[in-house]
Amino acid sequence: MSPTSRRAFLGAAATLVLAGCSGTGDVLGLRRSVRIAVSWSSAELRAFHSVLDGLGPLDYPVEVVPLGDDISTAFGSRSTRRPDIVMLPQPGLVAQHLRDLESMPEDLADRGRARLWDELLVHDGTTYGLPFKTAHKSAVWYRPSVFKQVGVEPPKLWSDWLNVNRSLSQAGIRPLSLAAGDGWVLTDFLENILLGSSPSTYRALATAGRPLPSQQPEFAAALRLLGTMWSAPGTLAGGVERSLVQQFPDAIVEVFGHRRAAMVLASDFAEPVVHSFAADPSDIGLFTFPPISAGTAAPVVVGGDVMVLPRPTTDNAKDLVRRLAAPAAVDPWIATGGFLADGRTTGYSPELTRLAEQLVAPGTSLQFDLSDRLGPLGDINGLWRVLTDFLVRIGDRGSELVPDAVEHALDELEKVEG
Amino acid sequence: MGLQSNGLSLEVVGREISGRPVPGKPRRPAGPFLLGLPALLLSSLLLVPIVITVVAAFRTPDGSFGFGNFAVMGDRAALHAVGNSLAWVGVALALVVVGFLLALLSYRLPGLTSFLQPALVIPFAVSVLVSGATFRLIFDPAPEHGTVTAVFTKLFGSSPVWLGPGLFWLVLVSAFGWTWLGYVVSLFRAGLDAIPDDVSRTIAAEGVTGWRRLRALELPMLRPITGVVTLTLVIAAVRVFDLVLIVVPGPMQRDADVLGLNWWRATSAGDDTGRTAALGVVLFAIVAAVAVIGVRGLRRRRWAMPVSVVKPDPSLRRPKPSRRVRRTGWVVGFLVSLFWILPAVVLVATALHSPRQAGLRGWWSTDGLGFSSFTAAANAGLLRALLSTVLISAIATAVLLVIAVPTAYLVAWGGLPTWLGRVVMSAFVVLAVTPVQMYAAPLRDAIGAAGLAGSRVALALVHAAAGLPFAVLLLRSAFASAPPALVAEALQGSARQSAVLATVQRTYRPALVAVAVLEFALVWNDFIVGFLISGAGTTPLSLVLWGEARQFSTSAGTVAAAAVVASVVPAVLLLTFWQTVVRGLTVGSKP
Repeated sequence: MSPTSRRAFLGAAATLVLAGCSGTGDVLGLRRSVRIAVSWSSAELRAFHSVLDGLGPLDYPVEVVPLGDDISTAFGSRSTRRPDIVMLPQPGLVAQHLRDLESMPEDLADRGRARLWDELLVHDGTTYGLPFKTAHKSAVWYRPSVFKQVGVEPPKLWSDWLNVNRSLSQAGIRPLSLAAGDGWVLTDFLENILLGSSPSTYRALATAGRPLPSQQPEFAAALRLLGTMWSAPGTLAGGVERSLVQQFPDAIVEVFGHRRAAMVLASDFAEPVVHSFAADPSDIGLFTFPPISAGTAAPVVVGGDVMVLPRPTTDNAKDLVRRLAAPAAVDPWIATGGFLADGRTTGYSPELTRLAEQLVAPGTSLQFDLSDRLGPLGDINGLWRVLTDFLVRIGDRGSELVPDAVEHALDELEKVEG
Repeated sequence: MGLQSNGLSLEVVGREISGRPVPGKPRRPAGPFLLGLPALLLSSLLLVPIVITVVAAFRTPDGSFGFGNFAVMGDRAALHAVGNSLAWVGVALALVVVGFLLALLSYRLPGLTSFLQPALVIPFAVSVLVSGATFRLIFDPAPEHGTVTAVFTKLFGSSPVWLGPGLFWLVLVSAFGWTWLGYVVSLFRAGLDAIPDDVSRTIAAEGVTGWRRLRALELPMLRPITGVVTLTLVIAAVRVFDLVLIVVPGPMQRDADVLGLNWWRATSAGDDTGRTAALGVVLFAIVAAVAVIGVRGLRRRRWAMPVSVVKPDPSLRRPKPSRRVRRTGWVVGFLVSLFWILPAVVLVATALHSPRQAGLRGWWSTDGLGFSSFTAAANAGLLRALLSTVLISAIATAVLLVIAVPTAYLVAWGGLPTWLGRVVMSAFVVLAVTPVQMYAAPLRDAIGAAGLAGSRVALALVHAAAGLPFAVLLLRSAFASAPPALVAEALQGSARQSAVLATVQRTYRPALVAVAVLEFALVWNDFIVGFLISGAGTTPLSLVLWGEARQFSTSAGTVAAAAVVASVVPAVLLLTFWQTVVRGLTVGSKP
């Protein structure tokens, strides 16, 4: 080995060792990194990583902490190693945690937002969160080819939709693929109907200090409407049992991959799944949840993740929020698909552009996801469970079972309300 | 014998001295007791939180003590969970029986083992999360995708929804059985092999066969091993947690609820700490009650298998079975192994498909082969998690060995007063079966308050503390099973402790290897401790896998790829050291 190559070798080895040490220090948690807690997983998590990569070189390491459904526990720990930034999917929690949260930097706080966000994020004139990702939860993805085959159009009214389902199932096509494995899919269904049929009840429930949905006749009426669709025999692809084991991407694959159903209620963020699993990329259509009756506004249920800063914060965390809030920061995710940014209507695929335009269109009945504002009442032990039982009782079994099932569901809900 | 001097004749009375030559109690050196100090410190990581939990369970909201919190057990959901946990214990016991019968079969049909061994070890090496994911893939409801569903659809035109209500139990039990059967069979087989040939010859010569032979020979000889196996499986069964989380689809999880999960849901829903603590105590009581039966063998000082000091004469080995028997053994062994290894094949084959094809088609499809799923898994933070897991496992194993060896020595030969030895042993047995739910909540709070949440070192220490009781029990048995003559020699002279330690080192390598390998693999595969105790951010492999698996079938390729990567290290480790591990576990080592 010549001296030069030996020196080169030793140099390289030293570099490797140093790199290894700094890497280990990082892993051991010795360097103070900015920690972002997110609820995303799989493809969404990867897309978020691409957003971070697109921010360019940063002065501090960034660690993404995927918390999944436990994201609401991110405020709980008092430790110094709690997340510095939380991407909170339940903005309703902001009001309950004002003491644990830092206000947003001045320059970001005044930025224009959809009216919807202000009532969730601004308290006593202080802004505690910034919307990062917006979700349109009133979208129905369908296969135009089967609609053409049967001779039906995307429905303009709730009653049309029931007719479309009937025509499809008479032609031997299962109309609806339902992801009952994910409870939020069921609540989204109900929320759309409630918002479409009685926006005032929806609003009252969303803003009530102690919401009591089981006492609202409009809530019961919405449940009955929902029951009418789910109970129609031959509606659900694979029947109830199959629906129960399906998560939302599975339901999409049933429609577009295995082509065993005609449509699926899924949000804008279903887009990458639809495209990556579609057997025929040209056979993809989208309509939005129809109005419940003629003359009423179409419901638009909105979800999303907001950036909040748990207290005490650091300058680095603020800097990262500022960078993430820059309009161009989310471009890599928009390119992947399935991402809507608040107030932005350009740069998306044609389907998502339509959804984005509906979000900013005047006169739409826009409300934030109810189950995400109800706290424990709206989640896995509350509305999710009640609606799953409801589906098991009526699914595919005929509308005469619906009134009893509604009574039962309201009783169950009352128990959760306590 | 006599002595004469100055006209005086002295004669020594030829009677053995009985009783103490010196009045008073013997002085025991205090030095060896220091050997137990590190173990005490490490164990208090668990003991203190356990005490806190117990106190919390008995403290009612008004501040008085009583059984008020246990009213939570009247809750229908909690009762249901208790019932399910007990059912799991039943599954574990059934598995012990099945494993014993299989071991007996492979003992009588030599040739079977050569194929069967690796096929049985691999499932044991992979984590519960991985085997759960694999079985969920196999039983996927889409006929294009799920193996069993596809077979049923082909044969009968339609297939039940295997993951649906009621049927998911089949998937759960299959996954559990797949993981543990190899361990049970291997241990029983090692026990059967250790039965001295002369004993079995004598029994055979007396014409004892069939059931009577089983009851006269194999069952009593295998009692110690049955104790270890039952203990391990019962603990595993009551701790079932991640398996349910990953296998059972959301809506059915309430039906599949076990006590551990019920506790977790109550905790994450922010229920009153007294009530969740009461749940933890009930869980613990069940484990302890059932485990006591299993550890009866462990209580005895000489529970271990007899050690053959003299090499048996090879000409006196068991008679070679006939060719027909051997050939049958090979064929059966080959077929069983093929069937048994199938889930691993499904996993690897799924990982070798692109994420799209893995989500759409089954593992047998030839479209979309490639490594893109591995790329996707790498993009999900797999490499960082790998590094993190290596660190946690290595630290935990090192700490464990450094602390467990002197402790086990102290308990086995350190001259502890009998009562203290018993107390220490009982404490370790209790700690060994204590479910993580008993200490998770206070420990998590304490780690958080100390500013260590998310610290890998803290997590590794908790792992070491949790692994300590089993390690000490195993090592003590190894130490205690030394041939008494050997130890008696070592105990003489001034340098007795170091001499004993040297003997121990030479003689009990298998037990040490078993402890090290098992701890490393356990920590590597752990989900529940990392999930319940570490704060956000330690992200060991299993948590990454869990995150990926949240959208199960469309992430099948990524999940499978991550699972394969996560399984390579423990699989290689256990396959390499399996013989030694089994010898260490059964302490049938050669001196």
